[in-house]
Amino acid sequence: MLGKIKGKIFIAALMACVMSFIATSTLAYYQAVGTATNVVTSGEIRMKIHERTDAGTEFPTEGVYITPGDVVSKRVSVENICDHPFYLRVKIVYGVDSEQLPSEECFKLNIDREHWVLHDGWYYYAGIVQAGQTTPDVFSHVEIVGSKVDNRYLGKTLTLTVKAQAVQSENNPLTDGKTYTASGWPAE
Amino acid sequence: MKKWMIGLIALLLLLSLSVSASAAEGKVTYSGNAGSFVFEPGSDHSPTDLFPDFKGVMPGDTLTQAITVKNDADDKVKVKIYLRSLGAHDNSVEFLSQLTLKVAVSNENEMAYLFDAAAHQPAQLSDWVCLGTLYSGGTVDLNVSLHVPVEMDNEFQNQIGYLDWEFKVEEYPVEDSDPKPPPTADVTASGWFFAAISSLTVVLLLLVRRKRNDQRI
Repeated sequence: MLGKIKGKIFIAALMACVMSFIATSTLAYYQAVGTATNVVTSGEIRMKIHERTDAGTEFPTEGVYITPGDVVSKRVSVENICDHPFYLRVKIVYGVDSEQLPSEECFKLNIDREHWVLHDGWYYYAGIVQAGQTTPDVFSHVEIVGSKVDNRYLGKTLTLTVKAQAVQSENNPLTDGKTYTASGWPAE
Repeated sequence: MKKWMIGLIALLLLLSLSVSASAAEGKVTYSGNAGSFVFEPGSDHSPTDLFPDFKGVMPGDTLTQAITVKNDADDKVKVKIYLRSLGAHDNSVEFLSQLTLKVAVSNENEMAYLFDAAAHQPAQLSDWVCLGTLYSGGTVDLNVSLHVPVEMDNEFQNQIGYLDWEFKVEEYPVEDSDPKPPPTADVTASGWFFAAISSLTVVLLLLVRRKRNDQRI
């Protein structure tokens, strides 16, 4: 008799275990919320103008002493230092620290006409400057024109400034492959 | 031999493409039991960033970002997943207002648009929008496209825009009337577990009966 009762208790306990197992499979109603902070970043166009000598050293920022007829080694190129390709143009601006004296004809540059196309006073690089790429030299030597730099220029400072502008080439188609037809060139 | 080689190279190229494509996917995973969501892949700017393809955007770009939302909870629950936008952070409004964002959800091989507005606005996602009911292992695909106007000004170079999205789940028990999900590794494992419990129960009952018989004798 006692054994029969024990058996019933055991079966009841077993049923309870099975019921509790089934009960855990019926989940309560839950709710959860999570926040994703999404980020959009815009690209940029960045470049660096290099001015080097034939020896591969940086062109001195303080300038060089010149005499009429000198040919100065000055190699000017532009490096794309961003992640996006761009079109490029450079302008060479001459100056002298005297309002009475002209500077335009004092310098003669050996412009690389194969890679650089003159249009409206700017030299346009005839292609796309890819990310990380450095252009061929715009020019490599500057001749001080002896017939123009006379005694009036004694003690004066002549300047040659290279100005560069770039515009993205992505989503910016050209007309007839001419880079000066690209959209978005900055105002001068 | 040559065909075999070409086939192998083509397969390798396809595999590499699929790897690179999946690397750029955003993922939202809900693990169940009111646990937190996991947002991937994240970025240097935000650990919960779902927009890996929207980096370094340029004027004129139209880019697409695929996002997969997955219910990774066990097979006893189904979840309803909702999305809403909290809009751009205050310091991002000026930049993101330049951009247009579209969000579509896949719906039986069709894309239904949920959002089409300037990127800084909550717009049509101001309130919770249900993306669908997902069973264990179920997914829903979001397709996000971003348009950058070609006229966007130089002042917006190198900008960072933050946009918050909230996801919500509601868990419900799976009913008998619900469609049966396809078998997965988890389902098979729990099936084996249930079979083991049943076997153990039978063995225990047999032992009890034998013990009772022994006592009667």
